[in-house]
Amino acid sequence: MHEFSIAEALMVQVVRHAPADARVKEVAIRVGALRGIEPEALQMSWEAVTHGTAIAGSTLTVDQLPWTITCSNCGRSWSSPKPFVDCSCGNVAPTPTGSDELDLVSITVDEEET
Amino acid sequence: MSGETRTVRLPVAERILQANDEIADSVRSELARRAIFAIDLIGAPGSGKTALLEATLRQLKGRHRPAVLVGDLATRRDGDRLARWCDRVVQISTGEGCHLEAGQVRDALTQLDLDGVDILFIENVGNLICPVGFDLGQAVKVGLFSLTEGDDKAAKHPYLVTAADLILLNKVDLAPHVSFDRAAFEADVRLLNAKVPMFSVSATTGEGLDRWLDWLDRGVAGGHRVGAT
Repeated sequence: MHEFSIAEALMVQVVRHAPADARVKEVAIRVGALRGIEPEALQMSWEAVTHGTAIAGSTLTVDQLPWTITCSNCGRSWSSPKPFVDCSCGNVAPTPTGSDELDLVSITVDEEET
Repeated sequence: MSGETRTVRLPVAERILQANDEIADSVRSELARRAIFAIDLIGAPGSGKTALLEATLRQLKGRHRPAVLVGDLATRRDGDRLARWCDRVVQISTGEGCHLEAGQVRDALTQLDLDGVDILFIENVGNLICPVGFDLGQAVKVGLFSLTEGDDKAAKHPYLVTAADLILLNKVDLAPHVSFDRAAFEADVRLLNAKVPMFSVSATTGEGLDRWLDWLDRGVAGGHRVGAT
């Protein structure tokens, strides 16, 4: 599962960005439709890679971007979680477009007030 | 210090695979410096990646000077097969990894004498999903499908189809024995990638290999530089 490699890379990245002595509470990522990430697999991988580390227990929040479907027959365009869907005009093959972001958007930390 | 804590959201806005991508970029620069045309060959287990490379390397003798990296979880079998046709082969054992990463490619390249090499084949781990998102520093990605996998596999693997610079449909010699709707397969490919070239081949009979070899020749000569995805 590539979710595990991604979780490993993400953990290293989060540790690099987190201020010293701050507790990481939430990690927010954005994933494009093309990436084919299975959400449960990613959550399980995140729990596994962070287990026993300073960021164990942090919440992984995933902004999963949808496909954009464009119908060449009627011109309609809409968002869909799946790429191959029919258009209501009857076109059974509207064009799916997906992006391939895989970004760490932000981390939310608790830090000591000084 | 007050001992109080506050919750702060820190924007990062960085690619998760940035570390891999930086290594891939340095591999890409090195290959460009040496004028080596590098192909990342991606396909399901059993699609015929190694057989295709065996047939290709046989034809390339005297035509180009190839090197090969082959990734597998375990065994040296593919590397051994390819070493019969090419004396610059490195087998990368990924252990549990279902895809190759740029660091593995960078390290494997240090084990090769690349002087005079003009074409590098990277046979990725058998998998249509995971390898697509890991830049290895290649010039092009080639997606290998085969007639025995079912004609719905392009639709089921949109990332590979979208990212591919070339799609090969292998095992066409088996057409009389399997039900594979080629028109449906091609229609799915076209919906996802309007322009990608598609060649039908048979690694075992040699059908279609001339087009593939011509495409490789053009790559070595500096064509297909569509950049990495």
